[in-house]
Amino acid sequence: MATRIKTHPILGEIEKGRKVTFLYNGKELQGYEGEPIAAALKAEGVMVHRYTKKQHKPRGIFCAIGRCTDCVMVVDGKPNVRTCVTPLKEGMRIETQYGVSNQPFEEQ
Amino acid sequence: MKRYDLIIVGAGPSGLSAAIEAAKRGMKVLVFDENEKPGGQLFKQIHKFFGSKEHKAKIRGFVIGQQLLEEADKAGVEVVLNATVIGLYQDKEIVVRLGETIEHIKGDAIIIATGASENMVTFPGWNLPGVIGAGAAQTMMNLHGVKPGQKILMLGSGNVGLVVSFQLIQCGCEVVALVDAAPRIGGYGVHAAKVARTGVPFYLSHTIVKAEGEECVTGVTIAEVDSHFQFIEGTEKHFDVDTICLAVGLSPMSQLLKMAGCQMEDNPKRGGQVPICDEYGRTSIPGIFVAGDVSGIEEASSAMIEGRMAGLAAAEYLGYMEETELDTKLQELDAALDGLRQGMFAPKNRGKEIRETEEGIAVSQNLLTHGYIADDEIERFPGFTHRKGIHPVIECTQNIPCNPCQDACPKGCISIGANITSLPIAVADADCINCGMCVASCSGQAIFLVDEDCGDGTATITLPYEFVPLPEAGTKGIALGRNGQKVCEAEVVAVKSLKAYDKTNLLTMRVPKEYASTARFFRAEA
Repeated sequence: MATRIKTHPILGEIEKGRKVTFLYNGKELQGYEGEPIAAALKAEGVMVHRYTKKQHKPRGIFCAIGRCTDCVMVVDGKPNVRTCVTPLKEGMRIETQYGVSNQPFEEQ
Repeated sequence: MKRYDLIIVGAGPSGLSAAIEAAKRGMKVLVFDENEKPGGQLFKQIHKFFGSKEHKAKIRGFVIGQQLLEEADKAGVEVVLNATVIGLYQDKEIVVRLGETIEHIKGDAIIIATGASENMVTFPGWNLPGVIGAGAAQTMMNLHGVKPGQKILMLGSGNVGLVVSFQLIQCGCEVVALVDAAPRIGGYGVHAAKVARTGVPFYLSHTIVKAEGEECVTGVTIAEVDSHFQFIEGTEKHFDVDTICLAVGLSPMSQLLKMAGCQMEDNPKRGGQVPICDEYGRTSIPGIFVAGDVSGIEEASSAMIEGRMAGLAAAEYLGYMEETELDTKLQELDAALDGLRQGMFAPKNRGKEIRETEEGIAVSQNLLTHGYIADDEIERFPGFTHRKGIHPVIECTQNIPCNPCQDACPKGCISIGANITSLPIAVADADCINCGMCVASCSGQAIFLVDEDCGDGTATITLPYEFVPLPEAGTKGIALGRNGQKVCEAEVVAVKSLKAYDKTNLLTMRVPKEYASTARFFRAEA
């Protein structure tokens, strides 16, 4: 399903940076440099960003402005990175966060 | 420690406006904003603003944002981005996080313009991926060009819920329903009507029972509520959706003021915890001012005026302008702000049920409960007239502070008068030249140019159209009524997209003449 808006009736063509490749859970995906990580993931259809520590419940984008911290992931090995306000860079390693780890619970 | 005349927290509409006024008077001004870009929420606002000329009416929000940034730049305002202010102390010392460092900076005056954050409601599944704030939807689609979802249910019928629903449709999403627990639509009727005529059903006195899905939202169940907001059994309705959007109000982000020791109050009319302040933003601590949503939830147009007031008050406080000059300036701004705070949706009328317009006309109840004016209600409003030849039909039926239509018409076909909340009147003896400026200038998209009888058994209706793809002349399809239901067959006979229309295209469709007063939207046959 197309989630990138190609032409917008008011905004026209939406300006984007250059196309870059990044790693999502080890898989190569593409996004635009400088857009929030969360936007790139959303465009690729990723909904779940993390699982909560105690009840292992899925969480994703909620406020998209860096306030709620629901969308945090492990980025380049660092946990709790707010993906909605962190710009995407070439080669970034973005991983689902389980609790505060990039290891699934059964491996923790 | 570094020292500035004035430190402003927040580079949104009010903070930037304050900075501009202060810097123009020679103050050394520093603005901190935690975001990567300035402008606050203005750059997500792609609709035309309400008000009159002095409020930048009929200009789109993001364009106003660009203008403010240019003005701030010219005035020499220094804006520091990615700067999170984490502390404000009584002696006006600010603690700010810049990257990985913490800095202490002193301001002789401080203006807090931190804005507001979105409210939430809880229901089973409310924290599933796919349940998002309306602001999040705007951020994704209007800033980053990514659709928030494919099939979306909107909860909340205030202006945010209505405007964001329309924007979702504009970017190609399907809005399956607009839901509100309140018995009446909270936002402007014109915003509701432009959503309703595209076919979105409104469910008032309904709220969400649960969001469904294991890993993310796959559906939602809503049900009707009684007057005590309790679910009525057997009224459940299910929708397959991938996204639920919450637009249930805003709360002032006033924590810094509380921390500084400003006197606070819990005031539901202003949106929650707010500082006690005078009308120019002076808090209980001399030299600490507030502006914009942090001092009470309103909207961007009034936030910009409040910002200018606070900026001037700060300038006077530090001796950069005389008290007499301040008084004159404030009087002008007072008048501008007062203009915005009139009408049915004025802060003073919040929560009140208004049954009649200022003109004494019964308000359309169908508009309040279903999002559109019923065909038998529209005739009683002064913008709706029947005439020979092309003429404007103005379906603006609530007293809101807005008058660009009056200025747009070069022939004086539309009259509002001095009171900008008055309902627009279609002037009887003025001749419409079919220029379309009124249609394009109406921020509520409530004006149509109608020729009720073209002489061959048909009528033409020109309507504002802000969607893609834009149908071409000759396209056949169906005309939808105000309720978004099929009225009759229709054919596009003209499409005008002038620069002066500012992205509002004017689509003219031909319909059998008996539908001249009911056909209000066009859908190409798929």
